Amino acid sequence: MQASNRRKTIGLLMGMAVLIWLVAYAAMTYFGATGIGVMPFAVGIALISVWGSYYASDSLVVRMTGARVIEESENPKLFGLIQEVIIASGLPMPKVAIVQDTAPNAFATGRNPEHALIAFTTGILEAMDREQLQGVIAHEMSHVGNRDTLVSAIAATTAGAIALLSDFLMRMMWFGGGRRDRGSNSNPIALLLSLFVLILAPIAAVLLRSAISRRREALADATAVSFTRNPAGLRSALEVLAADSTVVRAKSNAVAHIWIESPLDASSVSKLFATHPPIQERIAALRAME
Amino acid sequence: MKTSVIVIVVVALLVIYVIAQYNKLVRLNVTVDEAFAQIEVQLKRRSDLIPNLVETVKGYATHEKDAFEKVVQARAAATTASSVPAIAAADGALTQALRGLLAVAEAYPDLKASANFLSLQEELSTTENKVSFARQFYNDNVRSLNTAVKTIPTSFFVGLAKVDARDFYEVDDPQDRKAPTVKF
Repeated sequence: MQASNRRKTIGLLMGMAVLIWLVAYAAMTYFGATGIGVMPFAVGIALISVWGSYYASDSLVVRMTGARVIEESENPKLFGLIQEVIIASGLPMPKVAIVQDTAPNAFATGRNPEHALIAFTTGILEAMDREQLQGVIAHEMSHVGNRDTLVSAIAATTAGAIALLSDFLMRMMWFGGGRRDRGSNSNPIALLLSLFVLILAPIAAVLLRSAISRRREALADATAVSFTRNPAGLRSALEVLAADSTVVRAKSNAVAHIWIESPLDASSVSKLFATHPPIQERIAALRAME
Repeated sequence: MKTSVIVIVVVALLVIYVIAQYNKLVRLNVTVDEAFAQIEVQLKRRSDLIPNLVETVKGYATHEKDAFEKVVQARAAATTASSVPAIAAADGALTQALRGLLAVAEAYPDLKASANFLSLQEELSTTENKVSFARQFYNDNVRSLNTAVKTIPTSFFVGLAKVDARDFYEVDDPQDRKAPTVKF
């Protein structure tokens, strides 16, 4: 199961790469020779954003969510629980942060297990007992161990870069409409196709990001159980999250996929665009393991 | 000329292959050592908590001599054990004795309410969990090592790498969690 999940994720990331290439190709077709000068610049922006997300993802996410890194003396009970999961998983100890928010939620970030950070809202620490919290920590450490934090950071920034790129190119077309007549390629079908690609690429990128994130949530639930050998803990933790209707206040769309429970209102978003599988499906999958 | 190049390439690939198999076995063996060291660290921590716990409980429950003696005896036995099965057996006995002591504590409301006892209880339960996770991590690694030692092709390099199958850390504990079957 985990191996096939990983294969599918690689496929999705490749889909992302193909999409970037398509956007670039469409742009070149559309602009002919004049468009080529813009491409290195645009690809440069995409590369810098991916590189930036690799090195600064943890501090960036911490700033976007308003988390505060804490020491062991501030919450020895939480650190004890995290150390339990660390021993079970054989992963290095992450940095720990607290988000002042009554909505119960948690997330993990960082480019590799050595630079990982896991954060909890004050709400989740109050709402959950030992066993449930252990399940949540195991889920977050699974994201760290499976390198999901890196994959999702790259996926999110790539999706962002594609959106930025096609938006930028669409504007160029709009304002530079007269110039394309001088371009070498004036095949109307090719022009129409490239326009089509530029319009649809951002939507496809967001769909891909959601799919990557959803697969990773299901995989992290399974990995968490392999750490704690206790599906009931995580299952009852998810039930607490499902029963709670409050959502995290800092609900930026860009960091929605990193939380254990989606901070966006699920009913208004279609299943295709959701970053998380429906919580009832996850609870049912965990119940089947008990 | 051409055949000599082929021979060199084949020999080089063979050497790389042998190194990879050798390293795999050595790496697995080192991971098992590390995992066992983690068990010992956690057992030591638990052992250090016991005198404090016994003193605290004694202050409230003077008549429960039986429960104290069991814990003290099990702790003494645990410190002298040296082989993996002996350490595991002593560990299991101490876990049982501690459970007995905590069950006794349930009958004393004053004790249960004391801040000292509450923090000791929290520390003991997290250490107890750490011990069991360290055990689980060790056994998972022993399983990978033993599989590598017994299966082809790694089994051919066991003598070269000087590693061998290792003992599982088996504690006879009815409350131990069984590994669940993962299916979707």
